[in-house]
Amino acid sequence: MNFIWDNIFRRAADQTIQSVLRENLLFRDLTDSELRFLERCVHVRHYHAGESVFRQGEVGVGMYLVVKGRIEIYVLDPTATSDESREIYITQLLSNDFFGELSLVEENGRRSATAVAREETTLIGFFKPDLMEILARRPAMGTRVTLRLAEVLGRRLKETTDKVSELRRVLKDLRAPPSQDAT
Amino acid sequence: MINPRAAFIIRRERRWRLASFIAILALSFILILAIKGMLASCVLAFVIAYLFAPVVDFLERRGLPRGTATMIPFMVGAIGVGVGLAIVLPLVMDQLRVLAQRLPQYQADLSALLASIETNYRIYLNAGQLNLTHELNLWIATKTSTISVALPAFVSQSFTVLLLAPFFAFFMLQDGNAIARSLLSFVPNHMFEITLNLRHQINDQLGGFIRARFFEAAIVGAVVWIGLQVLGFPYATVLALFAAATNLIPYIGPIIGAVPAVLIALVSQETSVDTSPTVTLLFVTSVYFVAQLIDILFVIPLVVAKIVDLHPVTVVVMIIAGAEVAGILGMMISVPVASACKLTFNALYSHLTSFRD
Repeated sequence: MNFIWDNIFRRAADQTIQSVLRENLLFRDLTDSELRFLERCVHVRHYHAGESVFRQGEVGVGMYLVVKGRIEIYVLDPTATSDESREIYITQLLSNDFFGELSLVEENGRRSATAVAREETTLIGFFKPDLMEILARRPAMGTRVTLRLAEVLGRRLKETTDKVSELRRVLKDLRAPPSQDAT
Repeated sequence: MINPRAAFIIRRERRWRLASFIAILALSFILILAIKGMLASCVLAFVIAYLFAPVVDFLERRGLPRGTATMIPFMVGAIGVGVGLAIVLPLVMDQLRVLAQRLPQYQADLSALLASIETNYRIYLNAGQLNLTHELNLWIATKTSTISVALPAFVSQSFTVLLLAPFFAFFMLQDGNAIARSLLSFVPNHMFEITLNLRHQINDQLGGFIRARFFEAAIVGAVVWIGLQVLGFPYATVLALFAAATNLIPYIGPIIGAVPAVLIALVSQETSVDTSPTVTLLFVTSVYFVAQLIDILFVIPLVVAKIVDLHPVTVVVMIIAGAEVAGILGMMISVPVASACKLTFNALYSHLTSFRD
């Protein structure tokens, strides 16, 4: 039942939350006063080890920043025959990492992976309604956050394109007939 | 795989959080219903908050702190209401005074009209069992006595509501988000995103709905006032205010709004235009018809398009249910409440079935 008493240690917790927000790429351009405003818009959530943050296929409305703890990302293997082998491990995320940002711009977009806390974890949730509120009340600040978000999504797209190109090259090499020299 | 002990702790915390969240909501709801005048105060506070929210956001965008931005529309509103009352109230009071003086005459005229209908259509009516004139007089007497008994309590309660509602609305605008965030902190993790999004959607749609309905009512009231003024019809201000207020009730509101003017047109010939009773009735009906036509053709498509799409039968059933539960207030809030319920149900259904795609 410790969630009821969360505010008792607010000062110490807030300093960490402030620093995580300040260091995040999305909020790097914000002033101190804007960061304080942002702090009043975001949501701090606590997760136990083994608790899922979201599951693949669920409707997602925002992103999470890791304050402390560890998050593991999995995707479901549709060809798997047993429950144990169904989840494919993708990566782990630690303090100051963030994930799920695509949901901030998607309309009823579904999560493309499952995120699970692997130890006691504190996350900052930043969701579409929060971004909308910032855009409505502080448009200049909202624009800077949105531009940074576009930059992050663009970078992710470029990385994905590079990865697809690389996989295509590998696939092409595998399909190519063996050269005469080899025989 | 998660170990059974951890799974048990997670499940227990989820249950506690959900129970706390539901308990807080239920307790607030019970308090609102139990305390006299609280429901009306809260509904009016929501209406004021939704009407002022765009102005407060605009002022905040201009660089004013939230507190100052919230204070300004309240101050301007208070001045506006004061000036409006100073101009409109004497006019309304004069018209009401004249109406009160002429009411016995109208009642007598209406009785005579009904008597002539009875005589002319005796063949269709079972005159032995039904006496329209007597029924009308009895109805007026009962209503007059009910109103005179209920009026002091109504005035005292209205005074409390009018004092409390702006006070609540101010804090809704100033600290509404902080209060909502504190409440949302009790929502279990696995339901948090859907609840937050739901709150945002309901807020957005209710805000749009309320602002659109008030704009619609103002347009209808203005058209009726102009039309009746052009006709030189008596009590134009009172009738226009009544038409605007009843227009807030969907579907049947516009009909209720036209009834007093049509009844007065039937029994009174006080227009500046020299016409026969039938033509006066036609003119007055036309004014209300044109007001509704402007509403349907221009205001609804351009402004009220944000309203949640509910089937007309659902709307009428909700209005009747609202009237049963909370009278005229229930009729006015039944549609936004039904819209919020539909939105909540759709979101929960979509969430619960999301893994079956």
